Amino acid sequence: MTHQISSDDVAQLATLSAISVSDAETEALRDDIANILGYIEQLSELDTTGVEPTYQVTGLQNVFRDDEIMDQTVSSETILAGAPESDEHQFKVPKVL
Amino acid sequence: MTDFHDKYDMTIGIECHVQLATKTKLFSPADNDARDAVPNTKTHPIDFGLPGMLPVLNREAVTLAVKAAKALNADVAEVSRFDRKHYFYPDLPNGYQITQMYHPTILEGWIDAPLEDGSSVRVRINHAHIESDAGKLTHFGGYSLVDLNRAGTPLIEIVSEADIHSPAEARAYATELYRLMTYAGVTHGDLYHGNMRFDVNLSVAPKGSSTLGTRTETKNLNSFRSVERAAEYEFYRQCELLEQGERIVQETRGWSDDTGKTTSQRSKEDAQDYRYMPDADIPPVILEHAFIEKVQATVPKLPSEYRQEWSELAVDKSVINSILADQQYAKLVSAVLADGGLTAAKRVANWIASSLTIDEAGSETMNADVADLLALCAMVDANEVSSNAATELFNDLMAGACDPRVLAEQKGLLQNSDEDAIGAIVDAVLANPASQKAVEDIKSGNDKAIGFLVGQVMKDSKGQANPAMAQKLIRDKIARS
Repeated sequence: MTHQISSDDVAQLATLSAISVSDAETEALRDDIANILGYIEQLSELDTTGVEPTYQVTGLQNVFRDDEIMDQTVSSETILAGAPESDEHQFKVPKVL
Repeated sequence: MTDFHDKYDMTIGIECHVQLATKTKLFSPADNDARDAVPNTKTHPIDFGLPGMLPVLNREAVTLAVKAAKALNADVAEVSRFDRKHYFYPDLPNGYQITQMYHPTILEGWIDAPLEDGSSVRVRINHAHIESDAGKLTHFGGYSLVDLNRAGTPLIEIVSEADIHSPAEARAYATELYRLMTYAGVTHGDLYHGNMRFDVNLSVAPKGSSTLGTRTETKNLNSFRSVERAAEYEFYRQCELLEQGERIVQETRGWSDDTGKTTSQRSKEDAQDYRYMPDADIPPVILEHAFIEKVQATVPKLPSEYRQEWSELAVDKSVINSILADQQYAKLVSAVLADGGLTAAKRVANWIASSLTIDEAGSETMNADVADLLALCAMVDANEVSSNAATELFNDLMAGACDPRVLAEQKGLLQNSDEDAIGAIVDAVLANPASQKAVEDIKSGNDKAIGFLVGQVMKDSKGQANPAMAQKLIRDKIARS
């Protein structure tokens, strides 16, 4: 089954992923994404009736931590050192509201 | 404003975020108490989304959710799982929130929220899920600042069914939810610091219509009063739009306590795509029946149990509700009831409701020793103190004083019920020429004049004579004269 991926689909995915995509890249991505989806689609040929969905692959359950403060937190200077801009111990970001 | 209530019905569902009273965050060992902390000092590499970190679930958060389930009359899921909800926002360093989209820990439930007229509204709970909070954004002119101290704080989000049909019911639901969550010890309930935040989903439809209107969601209300006011405002706003032939836009709105209005924040027209997927870092949570029972057995008495217990007290519902506003007061009344019986409990209940200031949430709690309160009740019963003096002594006890008898002596509040001593004062008052008119009046059947004579006795005894006894002695002596 072939998938039709429109330029708008690519633009929507780019928005959700917070990346910018040029027109030329959009065209290339339309084909790539359609091919990837077609490849994955092969899995739907399998009969999965009665098979529990794979939520995880470790087989672990109930991995808990005790509610105790561990003072290995990092200083705000260290955290903010990686930020392009900071002010008053906080990350400074372009206006969002 | 036109009254639209005859023409339109409103339908309300409420989502409530409750901050859990854990010491650490949901997935990291960072300190969960960030009140007054310097920004970005209560955070951990797990919370600020450093690559390669492995989040590990806080057992206490799950335990508190199990307690919340009891308060919500809800079953606990045998298997619950965590999912990633993806979106980009500066307060969310991971690029996703860890939540429970498909397999929440708390299943369907219900609560009964008491209304002012003595009835109550039953609101069904759809489910409640555990999730981590985002950081805090502060907006300035051309930029915003990000503090991640709150990032990773454990929450449960309680999602109600749309069973609420008036602003008063919305307020009652929010208030009762607050009581339930604080009584059960699920949250500290500090509303000022946003420990409980309400989102009000509201739509209106013509009366009798079988289909619901388009709803709006007013987010981040942090007091019961603002829940009520925002619902009231949205109802009128939507009715007015419909009257003008316009349509309601499904959108997120914000509320301002200052203007008393909601304003559009973002439209949901282009529906968000959160691309939920299982969080492979967090293995499923499997809760055994025995564990659930053990945890829920530790939940203290809930408001409904207190109401049941106090049904014999025969006090007004408003008295009950003002006591229930503070769990300490509820515990106190029940302790007095257990040790001292109905009369004493009723006295203490009325003292609390009438003389203590109880605000909506988080007032400074006072407390007193049960034995001292019972001693005070006994003094009232024995006519050793007047009711005004008793209220004064009660307030002193609640403020930390002890031994009401010693206190009453120090303050000169003990009533004198010694018949001989009061009799002597009465004799003196009756012998006073200034009293003669009153005595004549009483003899001729004008009983009102006795107030004057009792007043004189009280004055001469410096307020310490038992007024009932003074009155009785005055009558006896005049009758015999």
